[in-house]
Amino acid sequence: MNSAVKGPEDLKKEVLDRNLCSSCGLCVGMCPYIKTVRDRAVMIHPCGLKEGNCYRVCPRTGVDARVMDNAVFGSERSDQALGFNRGVYFARALSPEKARAGQYGGVVTALTAFALEQGIISGAVMAGGSPSSPEPFLAKNEAGVTSCAGSKYTAVPTLTSLNRAARDGMENLGVVGRPCQVTAVRKGQQIGRENPGSLTFAGSAGLVIGLFCFWSLNPDFYGFLREKSGGSAIQRVDIPIEGLTLTTAGGTATWPVDEIRPYIREACQSCIDCTSEWADLSVGSTEYDPAWNTLVVRSGAGQSLVNDAVEKGIIEIKSYPEERLPILRKAVLNKKMRVLEGSGGPGAGYITVGDYAGEVKKQWEVLQ
Amino acid sequence: MSIFAVALDQPGRSVVMTGNEAVARGAIEAGVGYAACYPGSPTSEVLPTLAQLGDRFNIYAEFSSNEKVAIEGVAAASFAGVRSMTICKVDGFNVALDFATAVCYSGTRAGMVIMVGDDPSAHSSVKEEDCRFLARTANLPVLEPASVSEAKDVTRFAFELSEKIMLPVVVRCTTRICHASGNVTLGDLPTLEKKAAINRDQKFVTNVMFAPFMKSKLKNVAAMADTSTFNVYTGPENAQRVVIACGVSHTYAAEAVEMLGLGQSVGLVKITNTWPLPENFLLKYLKQAKEVVFAEEVDSFLEDGVMTLAAKHWEEVGQIRFYGKNSGDMGGPRGSYAGELDPDIVAGCLGKIFSAAYSAPGFTNVREARELVSSMPGRELALCAGCPHRASFWAIKTAVELDGRDAIVLGDIGCYTLGLMRTGYNLLQSVHCMGAGVGMASGLGKLDRFGFRQPVISVVGDSTFFHSVPPALINARYNQSNLLCVILDNETTAMTGHQPHPGRGVTATGKFSEKVEIENVLGGLGIPFTVHDPYDVEGSINVVYSLLQESGPRALILRRACALVAVKGHKKDRVYVDQEKCAGDECGCARFCSRVFACPANIWDSQSRKARIDEAVCNGCGVCASLCPRNAIVVERTV
Repeated sequence: MNSAVKGPEDLKKEVLDRNLCSSCGLCVGMCPYIKTVRDRAVMIHPCGLKEGNCYRVCPRTGVDARVMDNAVFGSERSDQALGFNRGVYFARALSPEKARAGQYGGVVTALTAFALEQGIISGAVMAGGSPSSPEPFLAKNEAGVTSCAGSKYTAVPTLTSLNRAARDGMENLGVVGRPCQVTAVRKGQQIGRENPGSLTFAGSAGLVIGLFCFWSLNPDFYGFLREKSGGSAIQRVDIPIEGLTLTTAGGTATWPVDEIRPYIREACQSCIDCTSEWADLSVGSTEYDPAWNTLVVRSGAGQSLVNDAVEKGIIEIKSYPEERLPILRKAVLNKKMRVLEGSGGPGAGYITVGDYAGEVKKQWEVLQ
Repeated sequence: MSIFAVALDQPGRSVVMTGNEAVARGAIEAGVGYAACYPGSPTSEVLPTLAQLGDRFNIYAEFSSNEKVAIEGVAAASFAGVRSMTICKVDGFNVALDFATAVCYSGTRAGMVIMVGDDPSAHSSVKEEDCRFLARTANLPVLEPASVSEAKDVTRFAFELSEKIMLPVVVRCTTRICHASGNVTLGDLPTLEKKAAINRDQKFVTNVMFAPFMKSKLKNVAAMADTSTFNVYTGPENAQRVVIACGVSHTYAAEAVEMLGLGQSVGLVKITNTWPLPENFLLKYLKQAKEVVFAEEVDSFLEDGVMTLAAKHWEEVGQIRFYGKNSGDMGGPRGSYAGELDPDIVAGCLGKIFSAAYSAPGFTNVREARELVSSMPGRELALCAGCPHRASFWAIKTAVELDGRDAIVLGDIGCYTLGLMRTGYNLLQSVHCMGAGVGMASGLGKLDRFGFRQPVISVVGDSTFFHSVPPALINARYNQSNLLCVILDNETTAMTGHQPHPGRGVTATGKFSEKVEIENVLGGLGIPFTVHDPYDVEGSINVVYSLLQESGPRALILRRACALVAVKGHKKDRVYVDQEKCAGDECGCARFCSRVFACPANIWDSQSRKARIDEAVCNGCGVCASLCPRNAIVVERTV
C-alpha cells in the first residue's frame, strides 16, 4: 500500500474528481470536511493536511490482496475466484418472516439479528429505508435489522453510520456491506492496529458480513425507479438474470437488464472484488433457487457464528450444488479478467493482485 | 448619566455628552415632536435617546422600517405643524433621496431636520459617501457642526432655519462628531405647545413650476449664512495663506496650524454652511489669499464649491493656488479620497504645502512596541461567539459544496456581511446596499437563456428583510426568477446595536407591538418557505441542499436569536472540551473548531496541544459540539 504520505488532496484528485468514489461512507465523519449527498462523497473544505486517514481507508486508493489476505485471515487464498474461504454453502433463514423479508433466503437478516441477540455485536450498520430512498441505518435490535431487509442496488454510504456510532461511544459494531465497504473497514482496522487512537471507529468494527456485488447503480437510478413505479411505494427490487423486477402494491413488472446498464457506477466497472473477499461471511444470491442464498464462510469468527446459528435453528445450510459452483466462479473470474486484461476503465488496479494475477488467469482458463 | 444630561433643565450649565446626544438635546431644545429613523452607524443612538425622553418632552419617536418611510413620516409631521427630525447614515439618505428630491419642491411647514451621519474611513460601513452632494441634488441646505458642542447648537438652529425657509435642513455629522464626547452648554427647554393639524386649503405638492421659488429659498440661506456666527474666520488680517475647513477637520486644522507655528501667517476659515456657501463671507478672504488649502472629509465638496465661487469672481480674487483633495495635497495614507483626516495628517499636509517644518510626534521604545504588537494574538473581524450566522454560513457552505454546481451566494448589509471574510468561510460573492442581494439574485435567476445554470442564493437579515427585501421578492415571484432567499433571522437589528424592528414585537419606546411575521409576508407574496434552526447544522444543510434542487423563487428562514441577546439575563450553558476525547493534532479534523469553524470561543491550548473553550467568551450555543468528529466537546445545560 503506497499511501503512507497521501492525504485528502490526493483523495480528491485520484478518487472523487475522477468519479471513482464507491460511496462506501467510511471517510465521512472522521473529520468535519467530507460529507455525502446522493451516494456521493464531497469534500466541502480543504483541511490542509498532507496525510489523511480518509485517503488510507478509501477502498479505491489501493489494497494489496495478498497482504490483506494475511492481515485478515492469517493465510493466503487458493481460490482466486471466491477468495480465502472455509466453505461455500446454500443457506436460508429458518424463520419464515425473515426469509420472506430478506432478498432470497434471508440469511443476512437472520445472521445479523442473531449476532445482535447473542451480544456478539452491539449494533449493525446497514442500508435502511426503501429502495427508492435508502439511507444508512444503525440497527440495534431484531426489528431494526428486519426493517433493513431487501437489496437496495444503489451505493448507500452506510459506513457513515459506523463512524457516527463509534463517535457516540459504541463498540463491537457489525457491518453489513458491499465489497468496497468491507475493504474500507479492513483497511481502517489495519490503521487502527498500527496506530491505535488515530481512527474513531477502529476497534469498534466487529463482525463483517459482506454482500455479493457485481456493480451498484448511480443515484439517477432513483429517478428511473420513480418513473417506473409511477410514484407508488416500492416493496421490492430484484435484478435476477431475467432483468429488473419491481414489486409495488400494483403488482410486479420486469425490464431488461440493458435498461439499467447506463446507471452502473463508473467506480464499479473496474472493481475485481465481487464477493466481499475480506468479510467474515459473504452472502449473495444463488442465481438458481430464490429460496436460498449463497453463503461463503471465510474467517473463524464467521465459521463459529454460522455453526451457532445452525445449531440454534436460526438458519439451515446445505452443500453447494456441484454443478453450480463453476458457474459462480466463472462469473466472478470473468469480471476479474475483464478488469485485469481489458483497458480496465478508469482506476483499474486499485486492488493490487500482484502475483495472484497469474493464478487468476490460470483458474479462469480452466473454466473456459 | 448621559440620558440624564440630555434631559437636564439647567440652562447655561455645561455637561458632557456625546455628539449624538448633543444632536438629540438640540432637537429637544428646538421642540421636536416627531422623530423617525432606521438605525445606521454612526447616528444610531440619536433616536433611542429621543425615544427614552419621549414621555418627558412629548416626542413621538419611532424606528421605521426604512429611511424612505421615516423621512415621509417626518415630512408629514412638519406639514401638520409639528417640528420633526429624521436621522440616518448617508447610505440611508440614499434610500430617502427619492422623497427628499421631491419635498424641496413642495416645501415644508414646521421645522424639519435631516441628520445624516457620514462615516469617513467606513468604520461601520462598506463605503465612504459624502451626503452633501445628495443634499445639493435635493436642493436642501447643509449645516456642519465642527464640535460636539456645536452639534447641539447647529441642530437647534437647523429647526429655526428650516421653519424660516420652509425647506428641510440637513445636519451633516461625521463619526468623530457623533461618537466623541464633549462639553455642551445647555439651552432653554421648549415651552411651545405641540399641536398637529392641516387646514383643508394647505397643499404640499411637487411640481417643476415651483423650482424658481425653491431656488430663491436657497439664495436666502446663502445670504443668511454671510452673517451667521457659525461661519468664523480666525487668524491675521490679510492672510495670504488661508485654510478653509468644515466639521471636525476644522478642529484638526486649527491644531495643525498651532503645531506648525503658522498662527501669525495662516488664516483659518470655518464653514458651517457648506451648502449653499456664504458667498460674500468667503469672498473677503479669497480676495486677499494667494494660497488656499481645504480640509474636509470624504469628498471635495467644500473645495469644489469654493473653487466655483473663485471662478465666478475671478476678476476680484485674482490668482490663487488651491490645495486639497483635487490636487492630491490633502489626505492620509490612503490618499485624498479615502480615510479620515486627523491633526497629524493635516499638519503633515500643511507642512508640505507651506514648507513648514513638521515632524510627526516621535515615540520612544519603538522597537519594544513593535515586538509587543507582534506578540499579541491576532484578532480579525469575526462574528461573535455563538453567532447563529456562523452556523448558518457553515450549513450554506456545506450545502453549496454538496450541490456542486457552483451556487452563487449574494450578500447584503448587516452582521452577516462578514460572510465575505474567513469568519463566514468567504461565502459571499457580492455586497452592495440593503436588499441589493435579492434584487441581484432576481436578475441572475433569469439568465438561464444565456446558459447560466448555477443556483442562486441571496442571504439577508431580518431587519434588512423588512427594510427592502419584499419589492425584490415580489419581482422574483412576478417574473418567476430562480432564487433561494435565505433570511438569517436573529430577531433584532444586531449590527447597529440591537434596535427593534417590525418583527420584534416591540417599538422604539419599548411598547408592545403586534409582530409583523416574516412568514406571513412571504406567504402573502406567494413565496414558498421553510423555517429551520441554524444551530441544527446537519438539518440546515439538508434543508438548504434540498431547496437548492428546486426552482422558482423560494425562501428559507434560519431563525435563532442573536447570541448576545439570548444570553442576556440568563445563566450561560457551560461548554468544555473533554481533554481525554480530544485527539489534538492526531485528529483528522486538523483543529477544526479553533482554526476552521473559528468561533472566538474555540481556542487551541498550545501547552496541552488540545482544543479548549474560552469560557469567558463562549455563549454556550453548543454548535461546535455538534460538529466535533470525536464528540469531545461537552455542553452542560444549565436548565
